[in-house]
Amino acid sequence: MAKVGMKVNGKQVSGDVEDRTLLVDFIRDTLALTGTHIGCDTSQCGACTIHLNGRAVKSCTMLAAQAEGADILTIEGLAQGDKLHPVQQAFTECHALQCGFCTPGMIMASVGLLKDTPKPTDDEIYHGLEGNLCRCTGYINIVKAVKRASQLMAG
Amino acid sequence: MTGAGRYTADFDLPGQLYGVFLRADRAHAMMRSVDASAARKHPGVVSVVTGADVANAGFKFPGTMVSYPGRGGQQIKVPPRPTLARDRVRFVGEEIALIVANSKLAAQDAAELIVVDYEDLPAVAHPEDAVKPGAVQLYPDIADNICFDYEYGNEAATQEAFAKAHHVTRLKVESQRICGNPMEPRAALVAYDAAADRYDVYTSNQGPTMLKPGLAFVSGVAPEKIRIVPLDVGGGFGLRSGSFPEHVVLMYAAKALGKPIKWVGSRFENFVTDPHGRAIVIEGELAMDRDGRFIAIRTNWLADQGAYLTAPGPLINTANGMLTLSGVYNIPVGYGRHRLMLTNTTPTGPYRGAGRPDMAYICERLVDQAALDMKMDRTEIRRRNFIPKAAFPFKNAAGAVYDSGDIDALINHALKASNWAGFEARRKHSAAEGKYRGIGCATFIEPAGGGAAPKDQVAVRFEEGDKIALMAPITPHGQGHETAFPEIVARVLGVDPERIELRGVDPQHSIPLMGNGVVGSRTAMHYGSALKIAADDIVKKGHELAARKLEAAPEDIEFANGRYTIKGTGRGIGLFDLAREHRPGASHPLNANGEWALSRSFPSGAHVAEVEIDPSTGVIDIIQYTAVDDCGDIVNHTIVEGQLHGSVLQGVGQVLGEIGVYDRSNGQFLTGTFMDYYMPRAGLVRNLQGHELNVRSPTNPLGLKGVGEAGTTGSLPTVVNAIVDALKPLGIQHIDMPCTPARVWEAIQAARKTQLIS
Repeated sequence: MAKVGMKVNGKQVSGDVEDRTLLVDFIRDTLALTGTHIGCDTSQCGACTIHLNGRAVKSCTMLAAQAEGADILTIEGLAQGDKLHPVQQAFTECHALQCGFCTPGMIMASVGLLKDTPKPTDDEIYHGLEGNLCRCTGYINIVKAVKRASQLMAG
Repeated sequence: MTGAGRYTADFDLPGQLYGVFLRADRAHAMMRSVDASAARKHPGVVSVVTGADVANAGFKFPGTMVSYPGRGGQQIKVPPRPTLARDRVRFVGEEIALIVANSKLAAQDAAELIVVDYEDLPAVAHPEDAVKPGAVQLYPDIADNICFDYEYGNEAATQEAFAKAHHVTRLKVESQRICGNPMEPRAALVAYDAAADRYDVYTSNQGPTMLKPGLAFVSGVAPEKIRIVPLDVGGGFGLRSGSFPEHVVLMYAAKALGKPIKWVGSRFENFVTDPHGRAIVIEGELAMDRDGRFIAIRTNWLADQGAYLTAPGPLINTANGMLTLSGVYNIPVGYGRHRLMLTNTTPTGPYRGAGRPDMAYICERLVDQAALDMKMDRTEIRRRNFIPKAAFPFKNAAGAVYDSGDIDALINHALKASNWAGFEARRKHSAAEGKYRGIGCATFIEPAGGGAAPKDQVAVRFEEGDKIALMAPITPHGQGHETAFPEIVARVLGVDPERIELRGVDPQHSIPLMGNGVVGSRTAMHYGSALKIAADDIVKKGHELAARKLEAAPEDIEFANGRYTIKGTGRGIGLFDLAREHRPGASHPLNANGEWALSRSFPSGAHVAEVEIDPSTGVIDIIQYTAVDDCGDIVNHTIVEGQLHGSVLQGVGQVLGEIGVYDRSNGQFLTGTFMDYYMPRAGLVRNLQGHELNVRSPTNPLGLKGVGEAGTTGSLPTVVNAIVDALKPLGIQHIDMPCTPARVWEAIQAARKTQLIS
C-alpha cells in the first residue's frame, strides 16, 4: 500500500492505494472523478487522457504513485465555473461528439495539442490525435472543432 | 464534455462488491473440473460462482429471433448455451465463473487461482472449415455445423435464366469478421432489492425493451421485477442490444449475496464477448443478356454464427439478404441461399448494417466485374439496369417492396459532385508520380425500420416551469435523439426546443409504453413519428382549451407559432400560458400519447470514392469520398451528417484494416487488443462530402427513411471498387478486405511478376 498525494483540479488530495493502482483508477475510484474514462487495456485509445504538470498524459499508463506531488487537471477542471473552455465550446458548436465516451480524453488531448501548436495544420491535428480513438464521429467534426478552437483561442 | 456524463462504470451503489469473470482461454475443450477452492479462500473474496453452482438455478438456454422456416421447411437449430460453462467450453472468452470480492483487485487476483482441468478438443474457426466433411462437430445433433439452411427467391426460375444467359459474372468475396468496439467497455452493476423483490440493472444497452426479454427469459425472473436504469451509453452499433450471460449471473449473485455487484469488462473481454460482426463468405453470380441487362442474380452465403447464437444474429443473416437481393436493379428473378455455420468463435450478431453492407458488397462488386467482362462503362451498365423512379413502389425478386427512390438522380449527382468525368486526367497525373489512382462507385438500397414489437409508443407530459417531457422506451447512444426529438415536437407546437427534454424510460417502471430498441436505423422514423402524432394531438387538445379560455367558438380559433388566436383579431393565448392554467403532471389536459406501427422504408444511395495507392508500400490513400443519399425528409441535418461520417469511417475501417483473426488450427483469438486490431484514426478520410437528394417516404408521417447505416452499406463496395479500379493496369481483378498495405503490396508484386513473365 502507498499513500499518494497530489493536486487535482486545484485541490490538494491524497489517498491510500495498492502499489499497483493506476493513476486513472485513483482519479476515478478514490477521487470519484468519473469524467476520465477507461476504454482499453493497452494505452491506445486515449479515453483516459488528463494533464499532468501541464502535459497531456494517458493516465492508464502510469501508476498513481508516479504522480506523487504532481499538478493534475481532469476534464472536470477544464471549464471555469459556467464558462466552457474554448475547446469544449468548439466541440459543442461543431457536433464533435455523439456517444460522448471518447470526448473527455479527446478534449484533453486537443487542449494539449493546441498548447504545443496553437495554429495546427490538418496533418498536425491528425498526428496530434493519433492516440485518441473515436468510433462514432469518424473524426471529421473533431478535426473541425480543433480548428475552430484554435480560432477562438487566437482571440 | 465536462465529465458529467454517467456511463455504467461511473455508478456506485452503497455496499457494492466487485465481480470479475473467469473465461475460457482456449477455443474448444472439455472441462474435467473447475477448482475454485483456493480462490474462495483468497482475502477479500466473498463468493465464487461456477457452472456447477448454478446448475439448479433454473436458467434457460437463450433463444433466437428466427421463427420462420428455412430450406425444406426446416427450423433453426439453436445450440444450448449454458449461462456459465459447465463441462465444455466452445470459444475463447466463454464465461466459466464469476468471482465476487470486496475490491476489484482482490477479485482479479482470486480469478487467477482458479484451476480448470481442460482436455483439449480440435477446434474449427472459419465457416469454410466448419462445413467441410470430417470437420469437428460442435454439437452432436447439428450436422455439418449448419444450424440453419435458408433460402429465398425462385431457385428453378433463376437456374433457367442462368442457363440461357449470354454471360455470367462470378465472384467470391469474404466480408471479414469485425469487432465493433464501441469505445465504452461493456459493464454492468446489478442490485437486488429484497423488500421490493426487484433487480436494478445498470448496463450499456440499446433500449430496455430489447434487453429485458432475454434477461427475463434466461434468468426466469419476471420482467416487471427487472428495472433497466436509464443512463449514458458509449456506443452500441448493434453489439449492445441484447442480454448477456454476465447479466444473468450478476443478478443471481446480487440476490444470493444481498449486495450490489459491479463488473466492468476490460477491452480484451469486449473483444471476445461483444458479438462480432459480418464473418460471411459469399459466392455471387450475375447473369446478363448480350446488352448487359441483368436477367438473374444468385448468391450463396456461408455466414459464421460463432459457437452459440445471439438473438438477432440469425435474423439479420437471413432476412436482410432477402430484402436486398437484387440491390437497386430491376432483376426479374433471383435466388439466395444462406447457410448459417457454427464455429469455435465468438458469437456473431448485428454490426452497423447487419447483412446489408455484405449484400451491397457482393452485388456492386459483381456489377463492376460485369462491366469489365462486357467491356461496358461501369456507370452505363448500372443505368441500364436501375429500377426506374416510376417503378416504385417496387417488388424485388424475393418479394420485398421498396417504397420510393430515384436511383438515376442519385448517381447523376454523385458523378457530378465527384467530378467522375475528369478522373482520367487525375489518374495520369498520379501515374506520372508512380502511383496507382482509381475511382469507384456503388449504388445501394437497404431496409430501415422493422422490429419485434408491433408499435413504438411515446408519452408527452407538461411539467412545472413551462417544461415538456418526452418519454420513450429507448436508450440513445450517440444518435442525438435528445436534440432531434425535441425539435420534432417544438416544430409542431411552435415553442423553443430548449423547453423540451427527452427521457428514456423503462416502461415497466414508469409510464407503460411499448416499443423497439435503438437499432436498424429506425428510431427517428418510428418514435419520431409517434412524437409528431402526439404533438398534433396536443395542438388539437389545446384548441378546445383555448376556445373555452378565449370564450370563442373553436372554429374561430387558429394556431400558429405556438399561439392560439381568434381569427381576424389580435386576441389570443400562448401554448404555455394555456398550459400554466392547469396542474402539471400525469393528469394535465394537454398531455398526449402517440404511437406508430411497425413500418419499413428503404433509404438508398450512390457513393463515389477515389483512392491513390503507393506501390512501394501498398498504402491506400482515400483522396475523396462523395456520398449522395436519399434519407427521406430529415429532422436535423447536422445529426444526419454525423451519422454519415461515423458509418463511412466504420466501413472504411473494414476495407482498409479491420479484421478479427482466429488461428484456424486451434481457434485461438489473435487480435484481442488495439495493438493487434486496426482502428480508424483521425485523418483516415479527410475529404468526405455528403449530399442529400431526399425523396419523402410515404411510409411514416415525418417522411423519414433511416440514415444510421447507409455509410457502412455504401462504403464497402464503393472503396473496394475504387481500389480494384486503381489496380486494373496490373490485371488485378479483385482483392479481398482488409486491403492492408501488406496484402496490396503482395498483390502488386505478384501481378508484376505475372506481367513480366507474360
